[in-house]
Amino acid sequence: MAVAGAGTKIKSIGAATSPGLGAAMFAPAVTYIGLLIAGPFMLAIFYAFSDARIGSTGLHYVGLENFRSILQSPSFRMALKNSFVFTICTQIIVIVCSTTLSIALEKKFRGRGFVRFLILLPWVAPISLGAIGWKWILDSIYSVITWVLVWLHIFKPYDTPMWLGQPHLAMASVVLVHCWRLIPFSTVIMLAGRTAIPKEIPEAAAIDGAGFWRTLFQITIPMMTPIISVAVLFGTIFTFTDMTVVYILTAGGPFDSTQTLPSFAFATGIQGSDLAAGAAISVFMVPVLVLIAYFMLRVAHRAEVT
Amino acid sequence: MAKKKNGQGVSRRNFMKISGAGAVAAGLGPAFLFPERAAAQQKTLKILQWSHFVPAWDTWFNNTYTKQWGAKNNTNVIVDNINLVDLKTRAASEISAKKGHDLFMLLSPPAAYEKQVIDMSNVYAEVEKKHGKKIDLAHKSTYNPKTKKYFAFSDAYTPDPGNWHKDWWAEVGYPNGPDTWDDLRAGAKKIRDKSGHPCGLGLSQELDTSMAMRALLWSFGGAEQDIEGRVTINSKQTIEALKFMKALYQESETAEVFTWTPPSNNQAMLAGRVSYVANAISITRQSEREHMPIDSKIMISQALKGPVRRIAAEHVMNCYVIWQFAENKEGAQKFLIDYMDSFHEGFVAGQFYNFPCFPKTVPNLKTEIANDPRANPPDKYKVLGNVLEWATNVGYPGYASAGIDEAFTTWVIPTMFAKVARGDETPENAAAAAEKEYQRIFARNTGA
Repeated sequence: MAVAGAGTKIKSIGAATSPGLGAAMFAPAVTYIGLLIAGPFMLAIFYAFSDARIGSTGLHYVGLENFRSILQSPSFRMALKNSFVFTICTQIIVIVCSTTLSIALEKKFRGRGFVRFLILLPWVAPISLGAIGWKWILDSIYSVITWVLVWLHIFKPYDTPMWLGQPHLAMASVVLVHCWRLIPFSTVIMLAGRTAIPKEIPEAAAIDGAGFWRTLFQITIPMMTPIISVAVLFGTIFTFTDMTVVYILTAGGPFDSTQTLPSFAFATGIQGSDLAAGAAISVFMVPVLVLIAYFMLRVAHRAEVT
Repeated sequence: MAKKKNGQGVSRRNFMKISGAGAVAAGLGPAFLFPERAAAQQKTLKILQWSHFVPAWDTWFNNTYTKQWGAKNNTNVIVDNINLVDLKTRAASEISAKKGHDLFMLLSPPAAYEKQVIDMSNVYAEVEKKHGKKIDLAHKSTYNPKTKKYFAFSDAYTPDPGNWHKDWWAEVGYPNGPDTWDDLRAGAKKIRDKSGHPCGLGLSQELDTSMAMRALLWSFGGAEQDIEGRVTINSKQTIEALKFMKALYQESETAEVFTWTPPSNNQAMLAGRVSYVANAISITRQSEREHMPIDSKIMISQALKGPVRRIAAEHVMNCYVIWQFAENKEGAQKFLIDYMDSFHEGFVAGQFYNFPCFPKTVPNLKTEIANDPRANPPDKYKVLGNVLEWATNVGYPGYASAGIDEAFTTWVIPTMFAKVARGDETPENAAAAAEKEYQRIFARNTGA
């Protein structure tokens, strides 16, 4: 039992006195990472250099053949491009919206708790359910948005926008639904970051005559850089590796125009039975994610040091 | 501090010995004491298949047929039904885990799984002894001529006719609906111009589009491969079919066709939105079941005739496989053989959705479908009587090989047509790109 008294050191009988206890407490995390992350990751790399197919009974090393083959596929090139478009657009919108929301939600106002609850809802709800809801909202026949636009005589009944059927609209829909999903998460991080800024600094700036925008860009955002970096890092990884929204809303269509690397890996490896090609597509995400993580952590570290 | 145990208690080692012996006795005891009961121990047969588009078939199969068969064969038959789009994913999971159902039904020829499934030659042979020869469509969808193996057993296929709105087509001069692809283009444009109702041929990455686009391709004389399995997609005929689809889309369709999933054209037709779709009879069966006012307006027609031939793919091809790792292979084979004896019951229960791969199981098919009291008019389905003259397999004119399977499930044909229809690609470039993709896929499936 820890005993703390004024001016005395906290005494622990935990890891310090029992090395086995520390290892035991650490073990679940290591097991989880090993079984559910490291294991499948190594397996994906192994498959990517093999001729594994869903129906095959043996494996052979084929070198870079899978990578050569998928690079020839126009669908792969489209998926690669879309992954960047999807991630970058989503992150820009998410960061702008969550920063704005965090500023708005920091001030005390009546019903703030309820508004915070509403904003958090999309993050709490299962993503598959949310995406299915959006699929119906954007449906070609039963879309409530389309119905309102027709009711307002903005469009004719048979010449309405097809939210998921026209390439740019479909990509915009996928991006916005993903933003809807990520903004709460990012807002919570931003709010936490803002509360860490000492109140004296913006107050001193205000006394010195700094306006809202000057305070925002020269004090608040620079001081929040580490926390924004964390939000961007997590958001980028969540977006770049997500296939739920794309799969449920468009399944990569129309004609691959919203296909991303994860959805294309699934379509090729599982539905198309070409496990090795699917694994190779997945492996393509690794260097990108490693680079993103490296740069974001570096930015966060620099901001902390300064 | 705990006191040291004295020698009177049971040591850990002895406890393990006793409990282990107890477990063995518990396991072997009944068989030793009651051998006849052990011999009669009930078996289990696990079946996975899609949630049928005509729910009445599932009701008959799950609640009547399998129960009766299970009672006769002292087997507990468990049937799991899942959404058709999840079948491939589920199959992949079962293969990876080497565990799952004894009998697994897919809706397109699963040649890619050949090494993971048992040969169905003996099942076909047994059924043919009783019910005569299977149709060529079943043979070409489930047989690998290179390995001489039947990788699946097909009990039924579903025709893929046209569904058209009687009033609208009559108003533009086609009281019997479109008969050719040219009729479709001319009539659909008139309807679109007159009332705004678009044509509903899908251009999405899904099953119905895949079938409709193959029908168009073949009708114009194009094909993915020749009879020997060589890639032939980049041809003059394919380019003509692509040009046709581009014109049809631009004159008569909306971008909604790029968003569709398999039920979408059903919904569009039943909502009174589109003038024509290519689909199985699930649309009209739903309108009959739910007594929808539109029911009497939707008519069925045979496949459209193109410049070269009248042809369409089967809409779905029931392909039952038995995994190499299935726990009850014998039971699964026997189930299939016996099931064909009751096929006619299923044909009636499924409201004629499943057509027989062994024609003798439904000897009076033409008469039965020509007078259906549910249909309005009762001879609505009569037109399907000659379906075998125009229905063919995926991979036509060749076999449904592993390469064809992969190209089918990765939507090469719908993507080719969709890109041209939207004007994002020229017909020539799209055909050339599809050729490259087929060659890549076929090369990866060499020996598969």
